[in-house]
Amino acid sequence: MRRHPLRRGLLLLFVAYLGATYWVFTRSAPLVASRPVTLRLAHWQIEKGPPDGLAAVIRRYEELNPRVRVETVAVPSSIYRQWLRTNLTGGTATDLIEFAYWVGGVDDVPVRYFEPLTRAMDAPNPYNRGTSLERVPWRHTFSDSLYTMLSQSPEVGQIYGVTLSQGSSRLFCNRELLRAITGSVEPPRTFIEFRRLCAQAAEYAQRTGRPLHPLAGSRSNARWLMEMLMQGCVTGLNLELDRDGFLDRNAYQVLGDYLQGRWDSRRPELRAAYALLREVSQQMRPGFTQLGRDDAIQEFVRGEALFIFSGTYDATSLRRLAAFPVEVMHVPQLTQDDPVVGPYIRGPFLEGLLGTSLEIYLNKDSRHKEEALDFLRFLTSVEGGTLFTAHSGWLSAIRDVPAAPEIEVQRATANGYYTGIFYMGIGPNTLQSFNQNLHLLVGPQGSVDRFVEALEAGQRQQVSDDLRLDIHNRLTGERGVDAEIAALGGLDRLRGSNPERSDRLLALASNQTIAEIKVYESEWILLRHGVRSDGP
Amino acid sequence: MLGLLLPWCGATLRAAGDADVAAAWELVARHLPTDAQARLGATTGGGREAAFAAAVVLLDRPPVTDAKLTTAAAQLADLARGDDEIAAAAGYLEARLYQAHFFSPDPARAARAYAALAARQPHSPWAQLGLVKLALLRLYVLPEPASPAARVAAAEALLAQVEIPALQRDLHLVLGRGRLFFQLPGVLPHLLAADRIGGLAGTVRSDLQLQIAELSRRAGEPAQARRYFKAFLAENEVDPRVYTVRARLAEMAGKEGTP
Repeated sequence: MRRHPLRRGLLLLFVAYLGATYWVFTRSAPLVASRPVTLRLAHWQIEKGPPDGLAAVIRRYEELNPRVRVETVAVPSSIYRQWLRTNLTGGTATDLIEFAYWVGGVDDVPVRYFEPLTRAMDAPNPYNRGTSLERVPWRHTFSDSLYTMLSQSPEVGQIYGVTLSQGSSRLFCNRELLRAITGSVEPPRTFIEFRRLCAQAAEYAQRTGRPLHPLAGSRSNARWLMEMLMQGCVTGLNLELDRDGFLDRNAYQVLGDYLQGRWDSRRPELRAAYALLREVSQQMRPGFTQLGRDDAIQEFVRGEALFIFSGTYDATSLRRLAAFPVEVMHVPQLTQDDPVVGPYIRGPFLEGLLGTSLEIYLNKDSRHKEEALDFLRFLTSVEGGTLFTAHSGWLSAIRDVPAAPEIEVQRATANGYYTGIFYMGIGPNTLQSFNQNLHLLVGPQGSVDRFVEALEAGQRQQVSDDLRLDIHNRLTGERGVDAEIAALGGLDRLRGSNPERSDRLLALASNQTIAEIKVYESEWILLRHGVRSDGP
Repeated sequence: MLGLLLPWCGATLRAAGDADVAAAWELVARHLPTDAQARLGATTGGGREAAFAAAVVLLDRPPVTDAKLTTAAAQLADLARGDDEIAAAAGYLEARLYQAHFFSPDPARAARAYAALAARQPHSPWAQLGLVKLALLRLYVLPEPASPAARVAAAEALLAQVEIPALQRDLHLVLGRGRLFFQLPGVLPHLLAADRIGGLAGTVRSDLQLQIAELSRRAGEPAQARRYFKAFLAENEVDPRVYTVRARLAEMAGKEGTP
């Protein structure tokens, strides 16, 4: 009698088990692999164009993958850095994240928070099946083979993201206004012609009483134009300082050279270049340093500026917002007969880098990495790129993606010198000093002398701090490589050697060694010529 | 029966442990140390390999503190006492901790560890890689020898011990760059030796091509300069230095055309 309850209990348990098994396989929610997934992609591209391009790609991707939903999170660029840092640290960041090193103070982020895609890049993109890129490794389907991304990577040789677009820098012109001022729509080809045109515009404004400046002004637009002009002025200086023979200068080299007394802001070519910056700033409305990029766009589309200098990422916004035809023009080049900087001009400057941009990264802590990676593949496929270009008005980063003629003119070509650093701040500390003192150059009472002396007053300390930070960031990246090297060795021991893994191990070791050469050269200089940190 | 079962169970457990450790290594290689640690925590076997992986995770998993590094260094030192490949890898990594991971590095200790590893297991790839790192320390970090020429000579002495071609190449790069940094002659032979061994890719390769080309041009070796400039152009369509290289070639052609 006493054994019956036990039997009955076991029987009940068995029936319950069978019932549960039946429920799991027939009635419960889908198995993990087929449950709905929502991916979130954060970006700061809130100008006209890219949101439409992304939306078109997402619509098509969701058709192809009905179980995946992709949401975009548009974060204004003014708070992007804080948003990025806070959410990555707190584990609340989106699965996919737009990121760029020029945001500043974020060099540590990729190694810490983003998933390396280097290995995935070696295989063809499955979404390119049936296209000319079908058998091409994913990395080489980008028109620059991700050259820019690789050249900026904190861990040499490691690819952390994909790029969606490419472009250049151009002058956008109000064609009707240009005709009204000069009687022609002929663009200025040299800076001398540009000066003449600025004088004509000022005379026109005075004559008609129309509020008008030759250049739409904002802190960002001014900075971009100044960077390009500085690039034209410092080609000779950079090539002169290029002891290593790389034909360009990186931040660590320029910082080290400063500490060794090989250059300072009093150099004649820099003084001439700063005089040119003052001249350019005077073609913008007063107070432009307090204005943002949107203010400059508004000034231009209101017809209060003849030109706006910007990246081609503003092309769609300008075309859609302006009530007049917008002409895309090359930036007037500096020439050797220029009265201000002529003696220092070696040749034309490059109008924008040739690489690809609009970088999207995969969050290491994403709960849907496979799906996010799959979406990145579609986003950067020929079909994804075609949709993006057609709906955004931006060039795609992907090879063989067709573009309409008005978009095609945005494509950069190797039409001038680019030698790296342009002496408007080299690292975060020198950049802050440059920005803080800029009013001494571009303000109403500004002068090159006052500006240069203010820069030099604290430059040795700031350069030392920047170099120290550069060393720190490089070392942070390289330490992570040790673990990966050890892991690849471990996998060789447990699974037998594999040529691909061996190549990766040797490439990592090699790149790490080269990065460490830079670290040790910098430390050598800092120790003997630098100033101690003020920090803790 | 038990005699048959026990070895079978042991082998099964070992295989399961190895699979877990391999999965953990995969995660470390993907820079996911937290996931790797969770995987190692579930491991039932794995022996020295698991212990090595645990030490690596310890030095890689944020927040990295000196206390954690000290523990990792002790674990690695313990593992380095054997004579297998794990011992060599652990010895190498222990030296790396003193070279680059501790908040206050100890380059002298790192250098001793690299030298000791090379003496113990001279043909191990880990020891060979350690020799390249030792060259960096001798060139730039260790207090002695004081003069640049003696530093370069001390680093160059290591070349004879490095057998793996890719590491010979890296050592040549280190030495060439070192001579350049200290403004000593003999840069190009090292860079050319590195290029002859080959195997570099990406920006490192294009940098080497340009460096050889430009330094050859300055040294009055135009044929060699032209060859390397052209090789760079053939392989790099989007590098921002393309225009500068074309200009260099045009300048050289102009000079050669001048009587």
